[in-house]
Amino acid sequence: MELRINQKAYQVDADADTPLLWVIRDDLGLTGTKYGCGLAQCGACSVLVDGNVVRSCVTPVAGVVGREITTIEAIEEDEVGKRVVATWVEQQVAQCGYCQSGQVMAATALLKHTRAPSKAQIDAAMVNLCRCGTYNAIHAAVDALAKQEGA
Amino acid sequence: MNNRRFARTAGWLALPCLVAAGLLAWYVTREPATPFAQAPATATFEPALVSRGEYVARLSDCVACHSLPGKAPFAGGLEMATPLGAIHATNITPDKTTGIGSYSLADFDRAVRHGVAPGGRRLYPAMPYPSYVKLSDDDVKALYAFFMQGVQPANQANIPSDIPWPLNMRWPIALWNGVFAPTATYAAKPNQDALWNRGAYIVQGPGHCGSCHTPRGLAFNEKALDESGAPFLAGALLDGWYAPSLRQDPNTGLGRWDEAQIVQFLKTGRNAHAVVYGSMTEAFNNSTQFMQDDDLAAIARYLKSLPGDPQRDGTPWQYQAAATNPDAPGAHTYATRCASCHGLDGKGQPDWMPPLAGATSALAKESASAINITLNGSQRVVAAGVPDAYRMPAFREQLTDQQIAEVLSYVRGTWGNNGGAVDVKAVGKLRGHTDPASSSPIILHMR
Repeated sequence: MELRINQKAYQVDADADTPLLWVIRDDLGLTGTKYGCGLAQCGACSVLVDGNVVRSCVTPVAGVVGREITTIEAIEEDEVGKRVVATWVEQQVAQCGYCQSGQVMAATALLKHTRAPSKAQIDAAMVNLCRCGTYNAIHAAVDALAKQEGA
Repeated sequence: MNNRRFARTAGWLALPCLVAAGLLAWYVTREPATPFAQAPATATFEPALVSRGEYVARLSDCVACHSLPGKAPFAGGLEMATPLGAIHATNITPDKTTGIGSYSLADFDRAVRHGVAPGGRRLYPAMPYPSYVKLSDDDVKALYAFFMQGVQPANQANIPSDIPWPLNMRWPIALWNGVFAPTATYAAKPNQDALWNRGAYIVQGPGHCGSCHTPRGLAFNEKALDESGAPFLAGALLDGWYAPSLRQDPNTGLGRWDEAQIVQFLKTGRNAHAVVYGSMTEAFNNSTQFMQDDDLAAIARYLKSLPGDPQRDGTPWQYQAAATNPDAPGAHTYATRCASCHGLDGKGQPDWMPPLAGATSALAKESASAINITLNGSQRVVAAGVPDAYRMPAFREQLTDQQIAEVLSYVRGTWGNNGGAVDVKAVGKLRGHTDPASSSPIILHMR
């Protein structure tokens, strides 16, 4: 089957029910997307499919054929994603960093849909887990991005 | 004079009582008739007969009760609750002392089809002999050959029941049998074709689908044992799950499934409507996936012939897009905990993650299945030796009773679903019953 990932076409030989995450990491070597729980509970594996954030560990690969997939490797090619990464660096959000590619995907998806989200909307959307507890930094960064838009 | 008359009267009264007691004693301990009474003992069986018997054991899902994970196959041990105390499935390996190694074919037949062990002792109807009585003579012979020659003997003593005296006396079960257990093997319906009849045979007989899917009466009897009764396979609550209707009810039954989808579900564990979960996971892992394609087609044909009941089932479900109200109770929990797999639109990712829009668990009035799977997740579905890639996680530790009640009320009231709100107390109750650390865990009733 053919997958469109980061504006490129990839030929993939996988069973229909293979999780998209396995294809991205193991078959295509795009290892920026992380494996966390495998049960859609933590969000470390978040990628964008047609601009919406999905958890790739519970996404059968057959379901995303013909759709536009974006991973952390290409997030800075996206206007919004570029600003998110810049703010992340500026605010030094990451600690160990393992969950952060998923956090950046979730923040990008939120800001693409809602240009200036309220604090409540940020709380509702930014639900990925972070073992280091960088939640305050994450919320501050997204809040700063929202304020840039609001200004 | 008076004394003599009294003695004579008492004598006349005592006589019929004695006769009645004698008849009762005979009736409740008698060994039922079997066509194999004169069958000669067989030392070895043809391999083809043994393998045919193994298939009949798959159809009958004997391992569901008679095997425990990690233990010798068919050595028994599964604990099942009765209103009077726990009973345990027995050792049915050919071990001579603790198993059924000394059973003749006639003994085996009486136990499987009539629930009577050697010596006339009655089995509890947790053994589905009211269904197995439909087995053909040929299938019983093959099953016997398999258990005598295809199963390794295991020396493992049976566990006595917890039921106290005098309730543990077995003879009253003979009276229950007289009222509730049929005595005849399956008779083909001449007005139906061979496929339908084969399906009826498997569903009513070896498959014993009604053990879970048919509602039970006050005496724990299945309210119907074949298609002549409207309650047959009409859906029932047991073991903390709601086994849905297998009739043509569009909401709580198989009304929206076509025959090919029924076959796919029983063969692969999943289709566009649903994925096996709850007790059905075991039935799939151990039994239905091993059924031959023509047998699955027969089951599908038969089930599709059972009419639904619009009175019970209500207006047929139709998809409705959710009103955009992310602040509704449960909507946020749904978006963050459920939507990754089941979709914000409730349509799931068929055939891997089932839709919740139109799901039986979201349309049935009984909320047990929805609560149970949310608390405890799904078991591993193993199709053709391969474990499933996706499984429902357990939310018991992550969500409170209130959150579960809210999110399930949202699921059961959105996308056209109308199962109704879930009571927070029902969640708490099932949480207690299904907690392995609790003092009153739910114990299996029937299989």
